[in-house]
Amino acid sequence: MKPYILVIIMTTVMSGTMIVLTSSHWLLTWIGFEMNMLAIIPILMKNYNPRAMEASTKYFLTQATASMLLMMGIIINLMFSGQWTISKIPNPIASGLITIALAMKLGMAPFHFWVPEVTQGISLPSGMILLTWQKIAPLSVLYQISPSINPKLMIPMAIASVLVGGWGGLNQTQLRKILAYSSIAHMGWMAVILAYNPTLMLLNFTIYIMMTLSTFMLFIHNSSTTMSSLSQTWNKLPLVTSLILMLMLSLGGLPPLSGFTPKWMIIQELTKNDMIILPTFMAITALLNLYFYMRLSYTTTLTMFPSANNMKMKWQFESTKKIILLPPLIITSTMLLPMTPMMSILE
Amino acid sequence: MMTYIVFILSVIFVVSFVGFSSKPSPIYGGLVLIVGGAVGCGIVLSFGGSFLGLMVFLIYLGGMLVVFGYTTAMATEQYPEVWISNKAVLGAFVMGLLSELLLACYILKDDEVDLVFEFNGMGDWVIYDTGDSGFFSEEAMGIAALYSYGTWLVIVTGWSLLTGVLVIMEVTRGN
Repeated sequence: MKPYILVIIMTTVMSGTMIVLTSSHWLLTWIGFEMNMLAIIPILMKNYNPRAMEASTKYFLTQATASMLLMMGIIINLMFSGQWTISKIPNPIASGLITIALAMKLGMAPFHFWVPEVTQGISLPSGMILLTWQKIAPLSVLYQISPSINPKLMIPMAIASVLVGGWGGLNQTQLRKILAYSSIAHMGWMAVILAYNPTLMLLNFTIYIMMTLSTFMLFIHNSSTTMSSLSQTWNKLPLVTSLILMLMLSLGGLPPLSGFTPKWMIIQELTKNDMIILPTFMAITALLNLYFYMRLSYTTTLTMFPSANNMKMKWQFESTKKIILLPPLIITSTMLLPMTPMMSILE
Repeated sequence: MMTYIVFILSVIFVVSFVGFSSKPSPIYGGLVLIVGGAVGCGIVLSFGGSFLGLMVFLIYLGGMLVVFGYTTAMATEQYPEVWISNKAVLGAFVMGLLSELLLACYILKDDEVDLVFEFNGMGDWVIYDTGDSGFFSEEAMGIAALYSYGTWLVIVTGWSLLTGVLVIMEVTRGN
């Protein structure tokens, strides 16, 4: 891609999200979604192989369907309330349609099938954008309409997302698919708390973005897309092995690491709302996630795979890839748990 | 009279989209899409949106004709498949029509449906008129607003069109 084109396309991706974030008018929100979706397509198919084409076609079709549903919901809302403002949606049909459209954009459970397929078909940097930046706009709209979301619609989707996100990733050996399923599961955690405490959704989202960004950056640094290539990391970048271990456990939500903060707060908030079965179920299904994160860290860090190794001194060569943002991201995505009381700044 | 026109147009609209989704050959897909688009513009016209209907007809059908020309040129066959040449396609078409008919009968029967959401009465779908000034149509005022204080909206639209062209070229240029 030519640099000029890349600049224009990246500007459009970012300004689309920014328009969604700053707009108070439903029409401009929709326009922002469309701009973002249009401009992300060339980024997804940067490699020009058939797999990437298929992935971007799938992405385009799901996002276009979701946009259409969103517009339908917006118009029904306009018919009943006569206004375009993003505020309380009095009509249950409109609110349900908008919720479903945004869930489809996010890849939540009944509409999750595109996420692993698309992520697996594109390159690692594009996947990083897809699983982090592309979630910002729909989640911000969900945050704004959170008082009008019907919990009876949202919570089953959230439960299904957590279950599918844990279950689907179990037997995967492809890193991008594993990260896609991890994203589905995290979306489930965000959706479940949305109706009760949207601030916690923001907290979970922030920490999810930091963890996913640093994981993707480590994989890019390592140029690995499969578990077996990750098992050679000890030979190539020995320090990275321990970083991947920490990041995986943080993604799984183990206590001394940042990933535990949102899970802890969400379970606490749900318990405060007199729910016992729901947080128990979510915590149990999070164990499924933890299982495949543990498997990743096991292959990377804790064992040496019996695979061919012709080059024993690779670690001596300095890597040509420099990822500047990696150190602060890794620190924030693993060591933030003691900063939990600072969460009040999100309010 | 108007109600009947809109009703007949709506029936054609739905049938054309059922036909589109069960298309046997891309040529007929393009054809039915054009029919659907034109009929949709007709519905908008019947509700008084003369400017909107005309604009959508010109722009959308202009684009669609080009696409239709390309599909015809690219996927040309001497005997393209039609709906009755394949039992599965015909079955999908008939089933789509039947389900639409059943849904319409179900709604018309007791004016109330409680499937996922409660949907009672056709009255819910009637637009409450927000009222225009009476001298100008809402469309003329909307266009005027777009080009007077809606500057940024026009800029966003223009930018999106430009990016659309760049994206299409970037996607189709190959490696």
